Amino acid sequence: MKSRAFTCVLLLFLLVACVSVRGEETHATIIYDDHETKISSANEDAGQLWITTLDLKRATNFELKSQGVCRNELCFPVPKARQQEFVRKSAGKTWFNIVAFAGLVHQPVAHDEALATWYFGLRSDQRQGLSSLVAPDFTLPDLNGKTHSLSDFRGKKVLLLTWASW
Amino acid sequence: MPGWQAIYQQLKDKNFEIVSVAQDTNGVKDAGPWITAANPTYTALIDEKHLVSKLYNMVNVPTGVWIDEQGKIVRPNEVAFVDDRFKNFSGLDSAPYLNALRDWIEKGDKSMYTMSEERLREKLTVNDPNIILAAAEFGLGEHLYKSEHLNEAIPHFKEAQRLNPKSWNYKRQAYALSDSKRDYGTTFMDEVEKAGGSKVYYPPPDLAPGAAPKDKKPQW
Repeated sequence: MKSRAFTCVLLLFLLVACVSVRGEETHATIIYDDHETKISSANEDAGQLWITTLDLKRATNFELKSQGVCRNELCFPVPKARQQEFVRKSAGKTWFNIVAFAGLVHQPVAHDEALATWYFGLRSDQRQGLSSLVAPDFTLPDLNGKTHSLSDFRGKKVLLLTWASW
Repeated sequence: MPGWQAIYQQLKDKNFEIVSVAQDTNGVKDAGPWITAANPTYTALIDEKHLVSKLYNMVNVPTGVWIDEQGKIVRPNEVAFVDDRFKNFSGLDSAPYLNALRDWIEKGDKSMYTMSEERLREKLTVNDPNIILAAAEFGLGEHLYKSEHLNEAIPHFKEAQRLNPKSWNYKRQAYALSDSKRDYGTTFMDEVEKAGGSKVYYPPPDLAPGAAPKDKKPQW
């Protein structure tokens, strides 16, 4: 009987251990540049969201390089002294704190806890267009799904006009 | 929209384009019938994510921005009525704005209605972190609504409205996706009354002669 009780306690211990490990790695949905990516193993910790560098590339197209966090020609250097706020290694993977990165590039983040959904807004580099007075470019579909960019109309005067059905 | 088509017919041969963009979370479903009915020959786009409002810090519709041949903004966000259908509500006459538009199409940079860079920057740039965050809360609300989580979307729409109380787009779009009395405890008209009534709902375009003085720099 004693050994059965011991086995029970051991099993209970293992179960709790399992749950606590699983509790650290969670699902998350990231919306970045208005594009949705489901992440199967994310790590949420005190309002920070850690994802693998593979998922970072998948969700944002940004990659961790020696010169910083980069997408094509765009690179944001990570301050050396603050490296551990952004990058850590565990379980053979490199994890990246995408919320800390948002802070670095002055990007607003909205979070829905219940649905584990994170929305990343416009980075400061995407908002700066207005102070240069260059009209921010965009590409959107018409009724037939054909896309048009504002920049297609360079060489013409343009009245940009928003409206809504509501 | 039929009104803009008439203006476009008059001005399109003067190197001029109208790019209209519907700010409608439900996209073609809500905006489509209006576009089909008007059948415009100018460029009519659909913006489910309110990207243009986000990029240009727009807070209401209809909003017009003038962009010159080099892609530079020469007159910032302001109410742009094409006719007087809403005059009883807004107290605004559409003629002065349309005359200003015609003046710019004719004279370009020399039009008295284009603004100095300093004034443009003052009117366009937003540095308030609350307003910047509001756009993300609104975006999250839209995303949740579209993934069939309206109840979860509401707190984020409310947060966007709280962070940027000047945005009528955040209020009106969210109310339109919901029963506003039930979910927000208010209606559009209640909000207009709270803000001081319909005559202050649209700040009038700044079109008085000399209201938009240009930098006195020679044009080469």
